[in-house]
Amino acid sequence: MDNIAVLERINKFYGDEVVVQVLFDIDLSIRSGQFTAFIGPSGSGKSTLLNIIGLLEAPTSGKIVLDGQDISGLDKNELAHYRNDKIGFIFQFHYLLPEFTALENILIPHWIGKGKPPREVADRARYLMERIGIEQYGGSYPHQMSGGQQQRVAIARSLINQPKIIFADEPTGNLDSKTSGMVMELLKEIVRENKTNLVMVTHDRDIAAGADRVIEIVDGRINCDFTVDRAGKEKVRRELEHLASTFSGAEGGK
Amino acid sequence: MHGRSQTVLIILGIAIGVAVQVFLISLMDGLQRNLIQRTIGSSPHITIAPPLSAPRPQGIGGGAIDDYPKPLKTEESEILSWQRYGDYLGGMNEITVAAPIVNGNCYIEKGRSSFPVIVKGITLPEADVIYKFKKNIINGDLRPGGNNVLIGVASSEKSGLQAGDTFYLRNQKGTGDYFTIQGIFDLGSSAANNMVVMSLDRARTFLDITGISAIEIQVHDVFAADGLAKGLRGSFSQVKVESWQERNSELLSGLRAQDTSSVMIQFFVLLSITLGIASVLAIIAIQKSRQLGILKAMGANDQSAARIFIIQGFSIGLAGALVGILLGLGMTQLFMFGTKSSGGPTYELKITLVNVLLPAVLAAASASVASLVPARRAAGLNPMEVIRNG
Repeated sequence: MDNIAVLERINKFYGDEVVVQVLFDIDLSIRSGQFTAFIGPSGSGKSTLLNIIGLLEAPTSGKIVLDGQDISGLDKNELAHYRNDKIGFIFQFHYLLPEFTALENILIPHWIGKGKPPREVADRARYLMERIGIEQYGGSYPHQMSGGQQQRVAIARSLINQPKIIFADEPTGNLDSKTSGMVMELLKEIVRENKTNLVMVTHDRDIAAGADRVIEIVDGRINCDFTVDRAGKEKVRRELEHLASTFSGAEGGK
Repeated sequence: MHGRSQTVLIILGIAIGVAVQVFLISLMDGLQRNLIQRTIGSSPHITIAPPLSAPRPQGIGGGAIDDYPKPLKTEESEILSWQRYGDYLGGMNEITVAAPIVNGNCYIEKGRSSFPVIVKGITLPEADVIYKFKKNIINGDLRPGGNNVLIGVASSEKSGLQAGDTFYLRNQKGTGDYFTIQGIFDLGSSAANNMVVMSLDRARTFLDITGISAIEIQVHDVFAADGLAKGLRGSFSQVKVESWQERNSELLSGLRAQDTSSVMIQFFVLLSITLGIASVLAIIAIQKSRQLGILKAMGANDQSAARIFIIQGFSIGLAGALVGILLGLGMTQLFMFGTKSSGGPTYELKITLVNVLLPAVLAAASASVASLVPARRAAGLNPMEVIRNG
């Protein structure tokens, strides 16, 4: 199986006067076609790791290869272009632009990268909206929609440029558990349909239990790394329940 | 949306600033043109006069028209070979008209009273181009010739003489003659309205002048008169050349001071527009940093993030400028209507393309400059700051 992302000896330091090391020599390969979940307590560095793989943040040292391309030599604008073209993002706070309708929000990544969307891209946006059940909200503004609906718009937006990989940081973090479950199911289905890859940070053990691979980050290091088949998922759930006791008051964060 | 009402407010602010500038510039321009027109419209722009007591320039001979040698006294108080000056000046494109003039102080005698007047000998149509007698005849008509004369309304009122009356005019040498009033004119200034106007030849014999007293010139571009006078001074060494600017230096320095204060006001209005836009855009940049962060995460580069603000600043400036032009034009119309209906000063505001477009262009430009501050901020924004802090 191919690797969609390969990380070699990733280190990350923060601060100038008080230097804090957040990630320690992370070596990691993320395989294509899998749903990978990062879990870990608050401040473990899992979000930082996700942002580094998502090219939002530069590692202090180390090498990143995404989809077979070494991105170490890319400058700021090339990175921005790469993100636009190859990566979809879904954040905990959906970050829709309030001045634009749902349909326009979904088309924004295309606007950024390639300008005015042609008819087939607009049609694709409508198809995605239909697929995730928000087709009637195309002309609505974010403040006219519920949190779950907004997050679905964000999911459609992350898919519009047909990215190779989707990074999701607590995508259901501020949704109630019922909506959260629905949004997750939808996300997994649509990722499978679009033949892209999903990498997610979560502290929700139910969500993590649905992943193909679960990587636990503790104190900036990989603590556990499970790859599971469907039969083994129940085992993972039990394992996670044990781990959950160590997440004292985990609330996302770094 | 806070941003939207702020945008409306700042557009209104720019509009008022531009409107005030359009109004102010039009007002100043109109006022100055009116003042200049009143001052020099009906008077010569350049006067060529005999040197009188003026010191004669030393060693200038080249290109000069040499007067026929005459006894010094006559030459110093009269221009003798004035036809030659006339021919020379008539060949210059910058000059509208060069009119030979004879001036003299005389008295209208009526019974036992006498009224001082200025006798002016003119040729038509030259002098009418300068003094516009024809336009300003209030009684009678314009046909000075022989002993038929025109008199100013001030002299007419003082002496009680009417058109058609005959009166005795005494010159400084004590001799005199009877003249008939052909018409009465009102040139708008008391000095001009105290004139008795007759034909050049009659004035020369009446005042016993061999040559003429002056050549009065009007030019196409009044502001070029000074430079032209300088050129003529080089050509004519034996006469005194004076432009209206030299005769009205106080008016000119007044106008210049007005210009300076007008520029100052415009500068500060522009400054406040710039600061206003800068502060509003800076606030918008902070309010929008979330959205900017997500746009950057999705691949918007620094330049396009900055461009959003520059375009926004320019659009705000342009919108304000356009509204301001309309507002300013409205103000000028209102002012003109107001002064006309209240019988106030009847000068026109000068609305030119430059007067209207200059403040608008400057406002739009300063709005764009003001947007550089938030634009830099937007360019430097790290998407992580926003995403991490929610």
